[in-house]
Amino acid sequence: MEKIKDFFKTFLLVELLKGMALTGRYMFARKITVQFPEEKTPQSYRFRGLHAQRRYENGEERCIGCKLCEAVCPALAIKIEVAERADGTRRTTQYDIDLTKCIFCGFCEESCPVDAIVETRILEYHGEKRGDLYYTKPMLLAVGDKYEAQISKDRLADSKYR
Amino acid sequence: MEWLLPIQNLLGSAWLPIWTVVKIMLIVGPLMIGVAYLTLAERKVIGWMQSRIGPNRVGYFGLLQPLADGLKLLMKEIIIPSGSNKLLFVIAPIMVLMPALAAWAVIPFSAELVLTNVNAGLLYILAMTSLGVYGVIIAGWASNSKYAFLGCLRSAAQIVSYEIAMGFALVTVLMAAQSLNLGDIVRGQHGQYGMLNWYIIPLFPMFIVYLISGVAETNRAPFDVAEGESEIVAGFHVEYSGMGFALFFLGEYANMILIAFLTSIMFLGGWLSPVPFLPDSIVWMLAKVAFVLFLFLWFRATFPRYRYDQLMRLGWKVFIPVTLVWVVVVGAWMQTPYWLW
Amino acid sequence: MNFVDVVFYLFATITLLAGVGVVVARNPVHAALFLVLAFCSGAGIWMLLEAEFLAIALILVYVGAVMVLFLFVVMMLDVNLVQLREGFWRWFPFGALLAGLMVFEMIWVLGSSQTSELSKAVAHAPDYSNTKELGRLLYTHYVYPFELAAVILLVAMVAAIALTLRRRAGVKSQNISKQVKVKKADRLRIVSMKSEPKNQ
Repeated sequence: MEKIKDFFKTFLLVELLKGMALTGRYMFARKITVQFPEEKTPQSYRFRGLHAQRRYENGEERCIGCKLCEAVCPALAIKIEVAERADGTRRTTQYDIDLTKCIFCGFCEESCPVDAIVETRILEYHGEKRGDLYYTKPMLLAVGDKYEAQISKDRLADSKYR
Repeated sequence: MEWLLPIQNLLGSAWLPIWTVVKIMLIVGPLMIGVAYLTLAERKVIGWMQSRIGPNRVGYFGLLQPLADGLKLLMKEIIIPSGSNKLLFVIAPIMVLMPALAAWAVIPFSAELVLTNVNAGLLYILAMTSLGVYGVIIAGWASNSKYAFLGCLRSAAQIVSYEIAMGFALVTVLMAAQSLNLGDIVRGQHGQYGMLNWYIIPLFPMFIVYLISGVAETNRAPFDVAEGESEIVAGFHVEYSGMGFALFFLGEYANMILIAFLTSIMFLGGWLSPVPFLPDSIVWMLAKVAFVLFLFLWFRATFPRYRYDQLMRLGWKVFIPVTLVWVVVVGAWMQTPYWLW
Repeated sequence: MNFVDVVFYLFATITLLAGVGVVVARNPVHAALFLVLAFCSGAGIWMLLEAEFLAIALILVYVGAVMVLFLFVVMMLDVNLVQLREGFWRWFPFGALLAGLMVFEMIWVLGSSQTSELSKAVAHAPDYSNTKELGRLLYTHYVYPFELAAVILLVAMVAAIALTLRRRAGVKSQNISKQVKVKKADRLRIVSMKSEPKNQ
């Protein structure tokens, strides 16, 4: 009996029709597409996007060239050269991040003792030719200067979980 | 066509070929536009069924998207792989498109709108659709690529197997209509009860078989093992770029529209109105074709791809026996007084 | 020479050239494709003779199915051309003799006065259906030979399958009917249970 029932079920394409009914219903369901430039999904303050180098309030750059980030970077995307500055402090002469290598894991940010290298919420950046995504120290500092307000707000929100 | 007479007199004996070319253009032009917008419709419908909205950036409602796609493909470089057979590689896309377009010669759009009204129309259609497989085979072989070759073997076996089931389904139609002329087949479905006079009623199983075989013949999902993006990259057209690639898609979609037209001519009463009190017109034809094409897109959005051995089993072990039984049933039914069609 | 003659000679030339191509093509796939071309132009000639059923059947059966399977096999073969050409001169006299015999026969048959009358197409009324006439003749006058031929073909097909069918041990294959019949209940058991307290 069960076999006969199954036979008719197969020949009447019951299961196929069920599937089609499901997709047919979804045709009129609410669409979940986010129309990107006009609409945006909410972002976490922990979002890991484009890198930036921060400064103290007095304008002094935070990075002390400890090279912890370079050591921890799993993608080997960071390159640092260090020298003594005229006032006797230890500073970087070169701080490059190759964003084409970077995997945005956030380890550099975690490892930094002075919160100098951070990842910002920016995700809509691009490069038009080879090398555009190779960020050097002045570029990173410029990003930091531009978005300092947002960056410090995000760090503050996250501080109690650190 | 009275207003054409002065032009006819002006051209003299050159009139007939010119007029024929114009008529062919009048079929191929709208067909190509239909193909372009079918791709848009496909992306929209499948998008809706997946809770997306589909293309909407190029032009209002995405209406210029097919033009943008076409333009992109036109501008692309045509790459001919090394070690490929150049001549065959180039003519393969043409051999896909050519039969797909040639079959339109005998399709009646309405009672008087048909390019050539031949008696063996149905046979001609069958012959033309069976030629389409050559483009696929040649493309796969000439590409000198494993994936393309596997794709072409799969596609060839699939088309040859499903052609038999399709042919038998058509045999029942021509038994019912007693004619191979597509116009006469539609006229045979004319009657006082509208929809109830269509062949879909007595031949419903054949309608299903024909529709599914049609999906398989055009290598559409869920029978797109010849393309099988996840298994053999893109199958037979993996090595094609630019216009060659575009021609394969033109052929595939033109075939889809052709199958939709044939389904509506043979089972859904062509240009006949579904209710007796409305006049018959080409609008009904186009509506039925749109419905069948929507079914094609719906299938693609719903069903996962068949495994290759399942596909062959369906063709040989299910469809052919079913159609053979129904040929006998229809034959016996027609000898009884209960055959009302 | 009218239009029909021009078309005839065009098709005839293509058929002959394609036939030559089948023989001389080095690549077996090319040879098979030349044969397809020969079939197509042959169908064109039949169409000129108003034998549209035969023409379309030729395309449908030979071009659409037989040659596809043929190409299928030829594509997968690894033909060694050197080996193939080895015995060419040894067998050449025999082949030439055979070809000469066939040419002689054809001249004999086609050149005689009785057959030349037959080669002209008979004019028919516009509503004459070649398919219908052929079917009528086949199922009335020639029904016995027709059925006999069908049975012979069926026997040959069954024999071919029986000869190539062999049961091999240790072959792993999937039983699709069984797979299709599997129900959700056969594979999946839904258990309803309370959430357990976390182990301290």
